[in-house]
Amino acid sequence: MIEFRHVSKTYAGSDRPVVNDLSFEVLDGEICVLVGPSGCGKTTSMRMVNRLIEITEGEILIDGEPNTSMSGTQLRRKIGYAIQQIGLFPHRTIADNIGTVPNLLGWEKGRIRERVNDLLDLVGLSPDEYRDRYPAELSGGQQQRVGVARALAADPPIMLMDEPFGAVDPITRERLQDEFLHIQEDIKKTIVFVTHDIDEAIKMGDKIAILKQGGVLAQYDTPQTILSRPNSEFVSSFVGGDRLLKRLSLTRVSELDLGPANGGTDGLPRISDGLTVRDALSELMGSGQSKAVVEKDGEKKLLTFQDIEALTSSGAMGGGKRSA
Amino acid sequence: MSDLALLQDVIGEPKLIDWNWLKDNFWEYIVPAFQGHIFLSSISIAIALVIALPVGILCARYRKAYPPVTVVTGILYSIPSLALFAILVAAGVNVGPTPVIIALVAYSLLILIRNTVAGIDAVPPETIDAARGMGLTSRQILFRVELPLALPIIVAGIRIATVTIIGIATIGAYIHGGGLGQLIFDGINRQFPTMIIAGAVLATALAIFADVVLLGLERYLRPWARARRA
Repeated sequence: MIEFRHVSKTYAGSDRPVVNDLSFEVLDGEICVLVGPSGCGKTTSMRMVNRLIEITEGEILIDGEPNTSMSGTQLRRKIGYAIQQIGLFPHRTIADNIGTVPNLLGWEKGRIRERVNDLLDLVGLSPDEYRDRYPAELSGGQQQRVGVARALAADPPIMLMDEPFGAVDPITRERLQDEFLHIQEDIKKTIVFVTHDIDEAIKMGDKIAILKQGGVLAQYDTPQTILSRPNSEFVSSFVGGDRLLKRLSLTRVSELDLGPANGGTDGLPRISDGLTVRDALSELMGSGQSKAVVEKDGEKKLLTFQDIEALTSSGAMGGGKRSA
Repeated sequence: MSDLALLQDVIGEPKLIDWNWLKDNFWEYIVPAFQGHIFLSSISIAIALVIALPVGILCARYRKAYPPVTVVTGILYSIPSLALFAILVAAGVNVGPTPVIIALVAYSLLILIRNTVAGIDAVPPETIDAARGMGLTSRQILFRVELPLALPIIVAGIRIATVTIIGIATIGAYIHGGGLGQLIFDGINRQFPTMIIAGAVLATALAIFADVVLLGLERYLRPWARARRA
């Protein structure tokens, strides 16, 4: 668990803090997304966790211990670190890059080798093909996979990720996000994730911390609550006018309680139950029909506008994002 | 008689290359001069590196030190070589290889320091950030990240400095520094072109050889760039 306790940061020579009295907790195994406009101190807040930036006031506890209880370099070796610009070592092979922290920790060669192979497999790159290549030979998306693998190398319980999928095109980005969420189901890291993109925050976060200018915490809650009950004008405008639709994207069709399809389903469009309700709504509207057929466990169910409407009015929306 | 007229006299001799002289003097004269030249150049570059690398690293770290260092080494670089040799001897350094080596080191510093700083500056900031974020110490970042990435640029500096120095070192024979310059000066004094040509050809060949070898080293130190091209 990571606890921010009244954390402030003021740079020398400035009288205005960039992070102002920040307090919240990141529970074990959760992804906490720090999101906000530029200048809101989200990256600064993240970098104070592993003390790349030192705190001016307050403290950050990791599993109850202040993060100042050991040297900065020791602390950082225990915390995974992935950034938007990736920062792979251009003069080292992919295997050497991923093995950086295990190597610093003095692991044996064979163990490092095995770990690197496992991690390459995990992020979907064939070890035989990629181990001995140099970063410049990889595409942007592949480099970001390597960046994530490198951050995971020593199996740190905590990870800091600063727009780790920011440097690729939207399609690759979405795929990397999906893959990472899938990996996270198994590895259950405690993650502080920084982004400026509210859609990414909603998708990736178990909790979202919305920060505003001057490093003030505007709201800290689950994506569902932030979308359904923004606590201020600032949050609701930051979340955007389409927050109802964003809420729909938190639920998948498979999670809906749908009625059976009786008889005449021939002319109706088919919708996959893996889609988010938002995408399903879009397909349904595009089809010009008022209902569609969803096949679920070999059973035909009927999806109607009423089902979607019922979802937006009930408070129980989007509970099971991870179990999708 | 002016030097130029003397040179013309020398070149005017009917026999440009006396092969018998070359054969007779190969082992006891030409080879030692060649070896002396290699010694002068390589020891100078080595000493210059020992000074320039730490100074360059410090300049890259503490930016304020860089302008004064550039000014001082820039002045050294701009002093005419013959004058510098004379100044050193006048200042009490005994004639022989020592003042030559001091002067050659002084000439190399500007290039070597500038390339060291440029090499370290060229390391991408995000690479350093990632290294810090993973828990490398400043020393580890210097030796495992910054210097290896700067090395090809540093070697490029060594290449330029070496070629320059092999040329300038010939003038060192004027204050009895030895090397191939000895052949050239003796040849002028004796009005014997074979010696001048032998000295000049060998000095040029040595410079070209050093250039090619160091270029190869530069490439070898950048396997990641080779791989990209492949």
